[in-house]
Amino acid sequence: MAVRMTPLTRAARSPRLRWTLADIVVVAYALAPVAWLVSLSVKTPATVSDRNFLPRQFTWDNYARIFTADSAEFLRPLLNSIGIVVISTAVAVVIGAMAGYAVARLEFPGRRAVIGVSLLIAMFPQASVISPLFEIERTIGLFDTWPGLVLPYVAFALPLAIYTMAAFFRQLPGDLEKAARMDGATPGQALRKAIVPLAAPGMLTAAILVFIFCWNDFLFAISLTSTESARTASAALAFFAGSARFEEPAGMLSAAAVVITVPIVVFVLCFQRRIVAGLTSGAVKG
Amino acid sequence: MSEPVTPAAKAERKLALLLCAPALLVMIAVAAWPIIHAVVLSLQRYDLRFPGEREFVGLGNYAAVLSNGFWWTAVGVTVVIIGVSVALELMLGLVLALMMHRSLVGRGVVRTVLLIPYGIVTVVAAYSWLFAWSADTGYLSRLFGPETAPLSEWGPSLVIIIIAEVWKAAPFVALLLMGGLALVPADMLQMAAMDGATRWQRFSWVTLPAMKPAIGVACVFSTLNAFRIFDTIFVLTRGANDTGSVAVLTYNNLFRGLNLGIASTMSVLIFLAAALIVLVLLKVLGVAAPGDEDRGR
Amino acid sequence: MGLRARRRPGARTGAVPAALLLAATLLPAGCGTATGEEITLYHPPARHIQALAEACNERANGRYRIVVRTLPRDAEGQREQLVRRLAAQDTGLDILGLDVTWVPEFAEAGWLAEWVGRHRAEAERGVLALPLSSARWQGKLYAAPASTNVQLLFYDRTLTPRPPRTFDEMIAMSRELKAAGKPYQILLTGAQYEGLVVQYTSLVAAAGGRILSDGGERVVLDAGAVRGLAILQRLATSRVTSPGLARAQEGDVYRAFAAAESDAAFQLNWPLALAATRDLNPERAANLAATTYPGVRPGRQGKSTIGGVNLGVSAYSGKPRRAFEAAKCLRSAQSQKLAALCGGAPPAIEAIYRDPAPLDSCQGGDRSGPLSMATAFPMAEVILRAIRDAAVRPATPAYQNLSTVMAKVLSPPGDIDPPATARRLREELTKAIASRGILP
Repeated sequence: MAVRMTPLTRAARSPRLRWTLADIVVVAYALAPVAWLVSLSVKTPATVSDRNFLPRQFTWDNYARIFTADSAEFLRPLLNSIGIVVISTAVAVVIGAMAGYAVARLEFPGRRAVIGVSLLIAMFPQASVISPLFEIERTIGLFDTWPGLVLPYVAFALPLAIYTMAAFFRQLPGDLEKAARMDGATPGQALRKAIVPLAAPGMLTAAILVFIFCWNDFLFAISLTSTESARTASAALAFFAGSARFEEPAGMLSAAAVVITVPIVVFVLCFQRRIVAGLTSGAVKG
Repeated sequence: MSEPVTPAAKAERKLALLLCAPALLVMIAVAAWPIIHAVVLSLQRYDLRFPGEREFVGLGNYAAVLSNGFWWTAVGVTVVIIGVSVALELMLGLVLALMMHRSLVGRGVVRTVLLIPYGIVTVVAAYSWLFAWSADTGYLSRLFGPETAPLSEWGPSLVIIIIAEVWKAAPFVALLLMGGLALVPADMLQMAAMDGATRWQRFSWVTLPAMKPAIGVACVFSTLNAFRIFDTIFVLTRGANDTGSVAVLTYNNLFRGLNLGIASTMSVLIFLAAALIVLVLLKVLGVAAPGDEDRGR
Repeated sequence: MGLRARRRPGARTGAVPAALLLAATLLPAGCGTATGEEITLYHPPARHIQALAEACNERANGRYRIVVRTLPRDAEGQREQLVRRLAAQDTGLDILGLDVTWVPEFAEAGWLAEWVGRHRAEAERGVLALPLSSARWQGKLYAAPASTNVQLLFYDRTLTPRPPRTFDEMIAMSRELKAAGKPYQILLTGAQYEGLVVQYTSLVAAAGGRILSDGGERVVLDAGAVRGLAILQRLATSRVTSPGLARAQEGDVYRAFAAAESDAAFQLNWPLALAATRDLNPERAANLAATTYPGVRPGRQGKSTIGGVNLGVSAYSGKPRRAFEAAKCLRSAQSQKLAALCGGAPPAIEAIYRDPAPLDSCQGGDRSGPLSMATAFPMAEVILRAIRDAAVRPATPAYQNLSTVMAKVLSPPGDIDPPATARRLREELTKAIASRGILP
């Protein structure tokens, strides 16, 4: 021990090394739970209960099973998830962008009301709408359908979309519309000609954030669905029965959990800057 | 400000309202209408298994809930989770924010990996913690001693729930705080340093005050986030052994009990509590609603 | 990837509400001639259920086609799924695989079609008395027992050649084993869920006590019920169970017993534990023996609580005629035998226990060849004895409320204080029975 201390202490004095050590701690902090799931998902049934962080025996079986033998229990919900979240994201970003533009760049009497309502929704505890929403959807036939989940997803993702888009539109130069209006365009035409072509980057950021937000939902998914016709992947996880009869289901559940995490990891790796910028601009400055 | 309404301004108003209408409509339909509906339901005895017994009971459900031990236990649990996790998230978040802001090495890496806890599905993370702490699978299960099952006891269960919650929320809090760090005036820090202020003094005299708005926002976020806690508890304990939050209790009464009256009453109470929390926090922290500050732009 | 996924859902979404409305009328008309009416069966996960449905489909000869939809693993999850669809008057459910405790609740809510006339006669023929009583409510039959179940005491012959007769004796034996450095644990379902209620109900019945009055409308909770609390508490605090007691469900119990370095000497569990041990740890399975539940009072037999699956026909089914027909096939002696041999579900029809013929389609793992009742259920006599003398959980439409509250008050078992817990139980159960209380 004492022998090793000296280089370590010396290392601690160099700021670069100190930061590197701190970085390693942060990386471990952030990735340990994910790594643990990956590890569990590739353990064999015989070793799944060995309590080792790293697998001693390796198998892809759990993945093969969730996509074949138990595909009804996982694959279908995964498709539901993708479909429902993609639709919700598209809808929320489009109507969020419209509202965001109005809030950021137009003068109108209801502006503060729009901001107020979306702020309210952003702070809203979802638990306070599940009882009435279940009752309403049950009565009008939306229960356990795609639209039955798309609606609440859109509604609760809208504040995020509106803020992100408003922050984005605010950054654009102030005289964009003016130039168009000089040529005699109406405000609507100005929007279409001058702003819409520039909106793509903002909408991409908003779409990523909204996707992550909707993908994360669990409460609505388990409350407003009951079968594979609309159950999402995260809800399916909670009700997973699996084809394994007596074995610990941890392996298969972990495999399913890892699959659900893949899109998030992809987004984070590809769009790190965008996500950080979107979150900080929308939340603090907006 | 109030100029005479020109035709151009009129057209702008019309466009703005048109643009906002769909968003407002959806938000009101899915949030406002259900809340009103919840108030109506909360005044009835309405158990889906006994539809024949549906009747108006006034404030009876409120009396039943507010005089019930299970409800107050759940409130207590929720308050404990809020208190502890908000404090931890702010502290950890500040440390992480400073790292992301100042690290000489691998700033990009840190920023990227910290987005994983933020982005990961809460239920997925909860399963990871569940398997980590379960007696039969977990690498952490022997941490409290060889003969224990941490998730079967109240104290350890709550600790684990809070760890899971803080792990996921702290990086987002860090992002909010990092936005605030960017606003700290560098020249003031330099001046303070030249005046001989210690590192801690610089932090508490210059950095913290400049970050106050960001800390306020982070505080509101993490409080409301902790108040909503459901997914983590649902997976880790399902609320067994007095670990259920108010959201878990509402879910149980709705779907196990099928008691729409009682569950709606809880929904309304949760809504009121959230509104109260927001009002108090805004007052105490002096955080401006986002609508106020962007007026000048 | 995104493109394909997006297009498919897009097409579906618009159609879903319409499809829901039209499903009942369009589907039979559309495919009635070719494959028969599609009958959905919502059933707890079971290995044999798909084979069972296929066998019935074959026998139906095109009149109907059973489609199996698997419910979640735990009973509460199963009920949550069913109940919320039934409350929504969903026409997509035809046959429901019900836990024995749900019939009163579902019948009272009007969710189950009554079995009458020749349907009823057929569903009742040859069925053991207690399982049959669990399918009845207010003198009417609302479901057909398809299998039954009863908890047994499993022990290791090499550790305790003679099984304990009472709980006290079992605790004493366990302590001796522990002192001798041998596997000693008594494993049982102690998590805050239905399984804990099953244990408690068994203890109360063995102590000669009652929790509810016979009609299920009043809380009795007599001296025997308090005695049951005391035993549960003793069991949990004598350091003879596993540390994970307060989280243990059926699967945890048999997995812990079958683990490579198991500390367990006893387990209280369903007969499935035998099949599980054979699967997970064949060596240990060779020494596994089963007997009836330990008693509470010396000289008096123990009692255990029955479980099992009852098949009900949804009141909202659009095809009740075929649904009844399919349900009758699924509960037929032939099907029950298949379920017993391939799936390990104890039959509700008594005669099957004495049927010696093996079934070729059911193979017993690696070496043993086709299973017969004698090989699949070496403890068949014990099961029969236990079922004839079993306890039943209180029959009341508010059962779920009772059970949830009971599990809550009894949790964790180590914290039970008999007189105080009894008072609390009495108070909470009284509220729960009126379904006016709040569920924990």
